[in-house]
Amino acid sequence: MLNKRLLAIVLSLCLIAAACGNDDDGTAAVTAPAPTAASTSSSTEDAPQQAEPDDGEPEPGEAEPGEAEPAPASSAPLDVDAVLAADLSACGPAPTGEALKIGYAADFSELGGFVDIPGSSAAAYFAELVNCVGGIDGRPLELVVRDIEGDPETAGRVAQELLDDGVTAILGPAFFDVNQAILQVTAGHTPLISVSSTEPLLADPTQLSLLASFTDTAQAKAAAQFAVDQGWRTAATFSVPGPYFGYLVEVFTEEYEALGGEVLGDYPFVPAETTDFSAQVNEIAALDPQPDVIYSALLAFQAAILGGQLDEAGIDAEMLVADAFTATGGYFIDGVEGFFHTSHTFPAPDGRMVRFLNSYEQAKGTALESDSYAALAADAILVIAQAVIDTGSLDPATVGEAMIAGTGVDGLTGVLAYNGGGTPNTPVYVHQVVDGGPSLAAVYEVFE
Amino acid sequence: MTEIVQQLVDGLGRGGEYALIALGVGLIFGVMRMVNFAHGELITVSAYASYGLALTGATWWILVPGIVVTAILTSVLVEFVAFRWVRSATDFAMLLTSFGVHFVVQAAFVMFVSASSRHFARPDWITSTVTIGGIRFEAIDLGIIAATALSLAFTVWVLQHTVYGMAIRAAAEDFDTARLLGVRSDQVIRMAFALAGLLAGIAAVFFLMRTGRAAPSAGLIPMLKGVLAALIGGLGRLQGAVIGGLLLGLVEILLVSRLPDSVDGMVNGIVFVLVAVLFIFRPTGILAAGSSHRP
Repeated sequence: MLNKRLLAIVLSLCLIAAACGNDDDGTAAVTAPAPTAASTSSSTEDAPQQAEPDDGEPEPGEAEPGEAEPAPASSAPLDVDAVLAADLSACGPAPTGEALKIGYAADFSELGGFVDIPGSSAAAYFAELVNCVGGIDGRPLELVVRDIEGDPETAGRVAQELLDDGVTAILGPAFFDVNQAILQVTAGHTPLISVSSTEPLLADPTQLSLLASFTDTAQAKAAAQFAVDQGWRTAATFSVPGPYFGYLVEVFTEEYEALGGEVLGDYPFVPAETTDFSAQVNEIAALDPQPDVIYSALLAFQAAILGGQLDEAGIDAEMLVADAFTATGGYFIDGVEGFFHTSHTFPAPDGRMVRFLNSYEQAKGTALESDSYAALAADAILVIAQAVIDTGSLDPATVGEAMIAGTGVDGLTGVLAYNGGGTPNTPVYVHQVVDGGPSLAAVYEVFE
Repeated sequence: MTEIVQQLVDGLGRGGEYALIALGVGLIFGVMRMVNFAHGELITVSAYASYGLALTGATWWILVPGIVVTAILTSVLVEFVAFRWVRSATDFAMLLTSFGVHFVVQAAFVMFVSASSRHFARPDWITSTVTIGGIRFEAIDLGIIAATALSLAFTVWVLQHTVYGMAIRAAAEDFDTARLLGVRSDQVIRMAFALAGLLAGIAAVFFLMRTGRAAPSAGLIPMLKGVLAALIGGLGRLQGAVIGGLLLGLVEILLVSRLPDSVDGMVNGIVFVLVAVLFIFRPTGILAAGSSHRP
């Protein structure tokens, strides 16, 4: 009896471990709160080019156009600054045209809730602001939010419900597997724009699948360029095979070594699980020469633990981490002073993102939990809205084609220019934690 | 030689944390014949309690007793709210109940607090080390090892020398006979859950000192490791739980250090394979547990 019970328990543990672990289809660990990336995606990017790290708000048209045919000229581009300045207590006449319906297949589970809970709140508020200033070319903007519960099967069902509701486009969740389930339903006929994913495989114009942010390829290349620009010639990396946590390090290593750097070693960790890096730190301490920089996609609390253990072992290496750092509360953690990380935008005090966040807090009485994801959600809506303005159509396929052909939507995180591809070519920002807050260290433009 | 000793020290530190959780899992199994997959929620709830206390400006002198008390109260509450009503149910029903508690607690924190993690300051000394003979001892590892030894000694003392402890042991041996002899099942089970809560609370103190993080699934990984450690040592055997925890920690550290780069991401998978191999030769774990019936 005890043996049977033991067998049942071991099987249960294996099932839980399998459910919680990373796998090749992009499912992240239970507490692994980061966008995903693919390990097999090929890069079409040029080398990163450093932009002026001025105010963190690139001017419209700063990104170089690609080779694709530009979209038709906008008849009346949405005035983003007017939208952000809207006063909900003193709105103009309500738009009366046929509504532009946008679906949000949001993941409110613990897996993706850190993105889509604030993201959907931000998107809903942004829609309110848009409607307050007259909507999209006289059309009211209607946001339909449904919970996919972190489950691919539910995601597929939700996608079908959204299509049945007559949405023109769908805002997608963070992770690859659930987006993939939605794409199976949209089947290339309705555009899907993932609010927060950095997964290169989701940037597929043939499926009308877009990202609202740069890809992991871009942020890893920018990180490598930044490390070399700082004169850091040797590096150690922490990775786990697979999307995001592995792919970022893979691209970083390739780019860094191509630029003349040397990766001395790669060390394992488990996202959200490893809380003790003693074994890895001891190995690094034995390296000669010592690494100038540690690069990884560590979650913020893990980066803090690793940083402390490296310091204590006398290893004087800089910490350079990916966008998971801010996504997992990097600025609310002690022990990360001086760390560098890549990010989607910089919260310049007079920038659009900060104005949007402040506006939300003032209107709702509570702050959004995420800055970048809130801005990306608004940007995703802007991309759809601009395509509707450009085409004058609510037909999903027509709007999707226009989104992909777009040469520059001036958004909250920068200028989103798809130029026929699935990524917006927004800049990669590198921040340093200074006095507990972000300080802009560099901006890189990596064109795809 | 220094390297291997260093790895042993690191492994004992990591394993000590697993052992503390495994002790609680083993204790509950001993009394109720149930593997409590909700045991990790004691850490989750304690983590949020720490976060709440930290918001009020409380230092770790307050957080430590706060964490332990929270874990004890949560453990007793979970028993009262969930497990009390399924004591007579099948093993599978009890297992499902423990899963249910796990998911309900996790969902409650997602819904009513946030899906995002919450952070609070870790103690200043958390990564401090002492170097003796070329071996670096992390202060927290020393603390964990000492706490594990003291916890085991305390638990054994409670079980051997107190009335409640003897009742728990009697119940673990044969609950029906123990009841016929006057042992009150409610009290015994409540006491066992309180003791398991105390042990989880001690583990939570170290876990939270290291991470400074509260998240809806904060207790999931520690629970999995604790259950695994308890299985390795032999379910229901307290010494086995400690041996299982230390062994698991040592194996993990050695695998991380010794595996070639090409397969170093497979540490968890290899650990599970090793456990499976262990069960082929020792089906009931390293120390076999006695048989008994739950109430």
